[in-house]
Amino acid sequence: MNMAQRNIIAGTVLLMVAIGYGILTANLPDRSLPDTPGPAFLPTLITIGLLVLSVALLVGGVIDARRESEGTDGHGVPTRGWIALAGFTVYVTLLPSLGFVAASVLFFAGLMWLYGERNKILIGLTSILVPVVLFYLFTAGFQILLPRSPL
Amino acid sequence: MPGDILQGFLQAVQPSSLTATALGSLLGIVFGMIPGMTISSGIIIVLPLTFVLDPDISIALLLGLYVGGMLGGSFSAILLNIPGTPSAAATALDGHPLVARGEAGRALGVSVLASFAGGLFSCLCLFLIAPSLADIALGFQAVDLFSLVFLGLTIICSFAAQSWVKGLLSALIGLAIVTVGQDPIMGSARFTFGEPNLLAGVNFLTALIGLFAIPQLIRNLGTSPGDLMAGATAPMIPFKSLLPKLSDLRRIRLPVSIGAAVGSFLGMLPGAGGPIAAFISYDYTRKTSRDPEEFGQGAVEGIAAPESANNAVTGGALIPMMTLGIPGDPVTAILIGALLVHGLAPGPLLFIERPDFAYGVIFSFFWANIFNLVIAFAGLRLLVKVLAAPRAILMPIIAILCVIGAYALRNSLFDIHVMLFFGILGLAMRWLEMPVVPLLLALVLGRQLEENLRIALTGSQGDISVFFTSPFSMLFLGLSVVSVAWSLISARRERSKSSPAS
Repeated sequence: MNMAQRNIIAGTVLLMVAIGYGILTANLPDRSLPDTPGPAFLPTLITIGLLVLSVALLVGGVIDARRESEGTDGHGVPTRGWIALAGFTVYVTLLPSLGFVAASVLFFAGLMWLYGERNKILIGLTSILVPVVLFYLFTAGFQILLPRSPL
Repeated sequence: MPGDILQGFLQAVQPSSLTATALGSLLGIVFGMIPGMTISSGIIIVLPLTFVLDPDISIALLLGLYVGGMLGGSFSAILLNIPGTPSAAATALDGHPLVARGEAGRALGVSVLASFAGGLFSCLCLFLIAPSLADIALGFQAVDLFSLVFLGLTIICSFAAQSWVKGLLSALIGLAIVTVGQDPIMGSARFTFGEPNLLAGVNFLTALIGLFAIPQLIRNLGTSPGDLMAGATAPMIPFKSLLPKLSDLRRIRLPVSIGAAVGSFLGMLPGAGGPIAAFISYDYTRKTSRDPEEFGQGAVEGIAAPESANNAVTGGALIPMMTLGIPGDPVTAILIGALLVHGLAPGPLLFIERPDFAYGVIFSFFWANIFNLVIAFAGLRLLVKVLAAPRAILMPIIAILCVIGAYALRNSLFDIHVMLFFGILGLAMRWLEMPVVPLLLALVLGRQLEENLRIALTGSQGDISVFFTSPFSMLFLGLSVVSVAWSLISARRERSKSSPAS
């Protein structure tokens, strides 16, 4: 996907965000005194800015798309990155039910594999050792109560 | 005032503060050395540790990391021709050719010494300028403060050179995020969707961890394991070769002075930062050199000037941060966030309400430079082994520390979701080649901007001419115009330079 196509997508998404933000701004309660700016003052300015700039991005993208025919996705997320991101989401979701140590062991092992480590013994040992050490370091050493498993 | 200076000095020489500074320097050098890691990421990783430490110890640790990171970046630039930090890019031009000639020790020794001199000079500037500037800033009204924050936001222009539309959109997204939560004047809930966790707004540091660390972790997954282990070829360096010879010391006197002056000055200006200071001093040193043809072939002057400059930037950037609460670069923006966690708001009142702390920061900065020198010379042979550290272990540790950092701010699982959201936002912005720094600055300065704007307009009953009648406000708005114009001219120059080549 070339940059022009990316700009068209971003311009469209940001335009929708600007419209949504504008609708929410219009519905904010007006508690200001006469002739003074209220809670909706800055959000109104932001809405106007977002609308103008997202339209500019969209129009610029459409114009550029006619010139650019091909392009490379230079800053695209690698396949392993998508897997890591999905893993991150699963990890965050499982954290309250599994607790920090159990959830982190699985996440850590998965990340090690994604970063190219194939030694199963090393993956097993490190992914258990690091979360356990970090858990005790932060809970006992720094008094930060990390999530524990309710089970 | 002498009593405050003494208190600050005593605070900085407490064993706990000194240990934190030394540890920070060591960690900074290590983080700076690892290609793919930045000083910002390093600071984000150690942030959760600082929540439980005293503010003076926390800031000593973070300052050590800031200063050490600048130096560490040059090691990988010299040894591997991969700048560990953007500020070290100019150092690689002459540093790596020296390594290729088998003079790695000489290149690293000059780099360490020049960094030390630059850092020390900027520390002196910080000590002399910051208190006076804070005194002046005490007289600022809401009108002046709005214009000052506006000036701080013009940093955005420096990062929006490629696309103004994207730079400004990034800033507006940041401002929109700042409006989430209770408004700063009336306390009305805005854009919270009934979620009590959003009433206090989005925590700046949580957003920061997501924006910087997650895209970096994902990006490193795209690097082949071979590239990640590139440092395994780092050469062995005998200690003796690190000590600069007298002839080299004579050669680097002028470049170091140029770098120190340029770096300290540019550090104070919002947005200029380490990379610009390093390249300007490199260029100026080459122009004033008797042997300009040696530059790029392994001239020690070509290492000394940028290294002195990028370390001098650190002290320069601390001046507006401490006296005005305006960050000079992304790292000082993170430092502001870290201080706010401890209930300390950087700005002119810091020198009135907590002068011991303010001077303590300056002295800790001094010690950070000393430790940098000692650690670099004493431990360089071991430190270069970090370049070969296995990323398959390092990166997952960083990922887990990011989660702990986001959680520990408020012991909130909700904040981890917020961090993940910002991580995805950061990836999307990178995909679009939209700069992240304007968003970061808007997150730091947005609340102050709105608060002072509304107070000023309430006082004047909506009359905007009030911004053009106060002398300070006029000065800041004038400087904002200069800042924007400078960015426009620089961007045009860059384009005209690159167009003939293409």
